[in-house]
Amino acid sequence: MRRAPLKKRIVLLLSYLVMSVLAAIYLMPFIRSAVASFMTWSQASAFPPEWVPNPFTLENYAKLFRLSLFPRWVLNTALVSGLVVAANIVTSATAGYAFAFLRFPGKNKIFSALLALLMVPPFITLIPNYILVVKMGLIDNLFGLAFLGSASVSGIFLMRQYYLSLGRELFEAARLDGAGPLRAFVYVALPLSKPALGALAIYQFLGAWNSFLGPLVFLRSPENYTLPVGLNFAFSRSMWTEYTPIIAGSLLASLPTIILYVLLNKYMIRGVVVSAKKG
Amino acid sequence: MFFLSKRLKPEHVAFILLTIYPLTLNFVFGYFSMIFAFALSFFDWDILSPMKFVGLENYAKLAGELVQGFSIMLTDPRLVYLKTPFFNGLRNVLLYTLLVVPTQTLLALVLAVLANQKVRGSHFFRVAYFLPATTCPVIVSLIFIWLFMRDGFVNYFVSAVTGGFRPDWLNDPLFLLPAIAIVAIWGTSAHFSATFLAGLQALPKEVYEAARIDGANALKRFIYITIPLMKPLIVYAVVLGSIGALQMFDLAWVMAGQSGGPGGAGYTVALDIYNTAFLQLRYGYAAAKAVLLFLIVFSLNYYIQEKMKYFRVA
Repeated sequence: MRRAPLKKRIVLLLSYLVMSVLAAIYLMPFIRSAVASFMTWSQASAFPPEWVPNPFTLENYAKLFRLSLFPRWVLNTALVSGLVVAANIVTSATAGYAFAFLRFPGKNKIFSALLALLMVPPFITLIPNYILVVKMGLIDNLFGLAFLGSASVSGIFLMRQYYLSLGRELFEAARLDGAGPLRAFVYVALPLSKPALGALAIYQFLGAWNSFLGPLVFLRSPENYTLPVGLNFAFSRSMWTEYTPIIAGSLLASLPTIILYVLLNKYMIRGVVVSAKKG
Repeated sequence: MFFLSKRLKPEHVAFILLTIYPLTLNFVFGYFSMIFAFALSFFDWDILSPMKFVGLENYAKLAGELVQGFSIMLTDPRLVYLKTPFFNGLRNVLLYTLLVVPTQTLLALVLAVLANQKVRGSHFFRVAYFLPATTCPVIVSLIFIWLFMRDGFVNYFVSAVTGGFRPDWLNDPLFLLPAIAIVAIWGTSAHFSATFLAGLQALPKEVYEAARIDGANALKRFIYITIPLMKPLIVYAVVLGSIGALQMFDLAWVMAGQSGGPGGAGYTVALDIYNTAFLQLRYGYAAAKAVLLFLIVFSLNYYIQEKMKYFRVA
């Protein structure tokens, strides 16, 4: 094998060095807290920092699960995220298809009006939405929270872009074969939309699992909290004199999103590409 | 009009069927709420008692606070937080935006360029750089509170570099906002690097080949080809980043606390709107504050979208 010229090898080595330093910076909080979650608080707060848990303890995780609310928060978050993902798959696929291929008077104007909502900052609608939710009797209700997130504009946009990228010919062919718009959706569009629906599901899951403002405003009783609100509540009420259980809890709470990302990052990048192609 | 015609086409029926739920939901909780918020800003209301029309009083109060805040800032900056929380929040958020947006955009671009190299192991680096973006800001902040403690992990490196200087990040008014900004940059630069990476992969390869033949080195190719071609995406990242930064809420709530931390150094406009509405139960005044934030965010967005029309994403 011929060796690359010296200059090229130095450049390569340098860029590996920079890339590794940056990777260390971006991964460090995860690594550091993963290690510390097995430490006692006195060791985790030592200065200079120590790296090997001694004694190795699972007490931080045990403490979390002894707290009756923590498993509850996990279940609540899973329930809301599951409902939001399921609802969005249905609403985004149907509405995305309709906006991509069906004819309707004023369709483009309706779609622009829908898209314009992406520009509206959440704080302008927060207070009226809170009042609406109170009046609907859905306050402090996990199903109410999922209902609010059940049809996202960005999801509809993503699906519409994807369907448009498939091309109109496919659906015209289905139509010539005598399929109505709904049949064409179920038998032609839906089977083809797996990759886009996958990306959509991942994004909706991340959004729902990580959201804070909505749960904070629309939930009231601690047993209904989702993980981000619950962990923050647990911390601020100083239920702990030690910080290590919070670290362990934070790590557990972010584990599903981390695993999902490491396994499925290809689909996520594809989702970015699909929605970046405007028009 | 179509609904006056004798019979609806099946295609129209299908369209209505497929879009009625998302349209109703989004229009009610989007447009109706927006109009509701504008209307509410002219009222004094605590939900329990009947609404009281006060005209422009809320806005007058808001303008008064801004003018007062500005004069207090010049005479006695420490009182800004106590007397004019909204002004304090606005000032902090503007400073925060100036800190965060340029840094995160540049970092994201560098990360994307590095991760886009066709070298062994680039997949690992892509995963590493994007990981912070997938994690919940609140949970990240909880971990960073511990990392930013006086005898914490961050200060271990800071003191090594500065020769023993160890700021008390979260309890020192001077360092609280920078600490929050660092956490934000760490998370959002990761997020935007994925956007940039997608953009980089769509750039025409021939231009780079031609430049290479003409003898342009990597740095020159980056400055004269990559940056100009990526301009639309960079503008997009700056707009989105600013919109997010101006409405910063989660990080401040966790790292500074609901009241904004020591000296109100971590107080933001979003926290103030939340407190005015849900703590003081002054929904009308909070709505007026939200309208002002909306006007700032929307005009920024609109201005840049207009500018964007002259560029086109490849």
